[in-house]
Amino acid sequence: MDAGLNESSNSFQSNGDLSQQNWGRGWFGSAVRSWSKRLSIKQHPLEYIVLGITLTITLVFAFLIEGFATLGNLAIVAQNSTALVILSCGMAVVIITRGLDLSQISVMVAVSSVFGLLLSNGSDYSIAMLAAVFLAVILGLLNGWLIAFIEIPALLSTLATAMLIAGVCRWGFLQGEFLVLIPKSLPIIEYISTGKMIGIPVSVVIGALVLIATSLLLNKTVLGRIVYAMGDNYIAARLTGLSVRMATVWVYVFSALTACIAGIIVSSASGTVDFRIVTNGTLLFEVIMVVVLGGIRLRGGRGGVINLIIGVLLISVLRNGMTLMNLSGQVQDLVKGLVLISAIVIDNYINPRDTETDTQGDL
Amino acid sequence: MIKSLKRMAGLGIAAMMMAGVIAVPQTATAASAYEGKKVIFIPIAMGITLTEGWARRMEEQAKLHGFDFEVRDAAFNMKAMSEIFAKAINDKPDIIVAHNPTVQLLARQIRQAESKGIKVLQINLQSNQKSTAFVGANWSRIGNDVAEDIVAACGKGSGKSGKVAIVPGQLTAADSVLMNKATMAVFDKHPEITVVSNQASNWEPEKARQITATVLQQNPDLCAVFGHWGIHTIGAGNAVKDAGKADSVLVYATGGGNRLICKNIEDGVIDRYWSYNADGQGRDAGAMLRLMLQGAAPAEGEMLEVESPLIVIKKESYSPQQCWDLPAK
Repeated sequence: MDAGLNESSNSFQSNGDLSQQNWGRGWFGSAVRSWSKRLSIKQHPLEYIVLGITLTITLVFAFLIEGFATLGNLAIVAQNSTALVILSCGMAVVIITRGLDLSQISVMVAVSSVFGLLLSNGSDYSIAMLAAVFLAVILGLLNGWLIAFIEIPALLSTLATAMLIAGVCRWGFLQGEFLVLIPKSLPIIEYISTGKMIGIPVSVVIGALVLIATSLLLNKTVLGRIVYAMGDNYIAARLTGLSVRMATVWVYVFSALTACIAGIIVSSASGTVDFRIVTNGTLLFEVIMVVVLGGIRLRGGRGGVINLIIGVLLISVLRNGMTLMNLSGQVQDLVKGLVLISAIVIDNYINPRDTETDTQGDL
Repeated sequence: MIKSLKRMAGLGIAAMMMAGVIAVPQTATAASAYEGKKVIFIPIAMGITLTEGWARRMEEQAKLHGFDFEVRDAAFNMKAMSEIFAKAINDKPDIIVAHNPTVQLLARQIRQAESKGIKVLQINLQSNQKSTAFVGANWSRIGNDVAEDIVAACGKGSGKSGKVAIVPGQLTAADSVLMNKATMAVFDKHPEITVVSNQASNWEPEKARQITATVLQQNPDLCAVFGHWGIHTIGAGNAVKDAGKADSVLVYATGGGNRLICKNIEDGVIDRYWSYNADGQGRDAGAMLRLMLQGAAPAEGEMLEVESPLIVIKKESYSPQQCWDLPAK
């Protein structure tokens, strides 16, 4: 059982050339074998394709756009992608369980609305943050409970809760308004939006910490192993006695918490909580695109933090380069769509469907 | 004596009135002009001080004069807005007040409504399709005036780079279309002004912030940012402030001039703001509704138009009285 779970958690089955070789026994050999599995191009063609595209685009942009290949611009790319990274962490864990969280952006806006309203009303930032975290946990529990115990498919339940949360947020918290001003003069808001830790923007450090936490959750905890087992074969995981229901609940709580952190970072930076991110924005699609482009299949059971980084790199570099090139939003969406389709088509060509991958929910 | 003189004068006036020599002042139109009449207002979304301010003033007129006024909120959903408009046409009101999100979205339906005898008042954002009336800002004038101000602040003799970033809301919205055209017409006469970026923010402060932060990184000597709407320009202004360039980069915006924006002028997020005063626009729209219900009609191929007066609010001469606010609920 344990061995089986370990294999699942690594999520890649070995048939790469390197992994077949005998690298010796012991810790070093095991580590080499493990990494050779992880880095096998045969196992992960999409990731290599996306990396290749990213590298090519980066080189083209560096050649064409003045000011692109600078440290300052790198910091801007990192800062502008922080929310995307954090949201993608939550979404990735959900997708690895073969789930989907369509309510993530609604949760983000609802939680940051509460955070902003409390701050505007003069509450202490610690109380505002605690309230935001508490609300995120409640909303995550609601999603998890609907999916795990009421057994409503994730797609439908999170779609429903997305609408419910958006409605409650607009008419309950915001009293019909759509914007909350965040007092940027508060030291904590100033620190989150402009502060630096060892020369790195605080928001980027928070993003990195969430990435590390996600990696630890997936690779070093029992919950992480159950997550992969559920994604690989939910029925088998359940029949072997794993607590899949509770795992589902915690996974959606984790997703809601990432939405909470992303919400606080975005609202601190822009000085507003904007309800229209739910109705107008394309953020949810960007989050799913990052996860899928990075190589985390919607059918679950595969992927990790490395995949997220690959996906975010491509989207962030594209977005930054196109902004510097002064391309309109519509053209940017067009290019992002083309890149996504190209990556999937190339992946399908290199990695044709077989009996394992030709399943429902496959890309 | 005086009493009897007064009495005689009163009797004389009454006699003259009865003879029709002196007319008793009448209201412009009998109440019957409004009786049973119905107006439907379809805003892009309620919950914005702009639309709330308009609705409040129009509703005041409706209550005062006894016609029916109803708000049907599209809540930022463009597809829903088209459906709401179609439903409103079916309900056959006397007037539809349309707040166009883009120049084309409701064009066909406005034509359809007018052809069915439903008058359409377009408020602040025009469509490509003309209708009976328009009340709102003159976007070309604002675009021109802001551009002239930018030229004065960033052009020849200013010692500045002349670099300008424009952050429209949506490139197909009337305000952005007209302001972009007017702004570029001014800049074309001033080759020292360079527009380094002109990217729509989809009205979102966070998107405006990201665009501005990126542009500032590439152009640290940027002279001005012109956001087409105050709300999303808050994000752009915060990007300027966070980059420590609040003293060297001027942030321009336009909008309805409510307290929320003025707070941002006080905080140094926005430097110069062209306000069309949404509260005043609401009053103008209410008056226009009454005229339309009384039968006012434009000349063939024209629209009845009321252009909103502008208030220019600058950080250096700002006073809280330049802004307005909705009464507390």
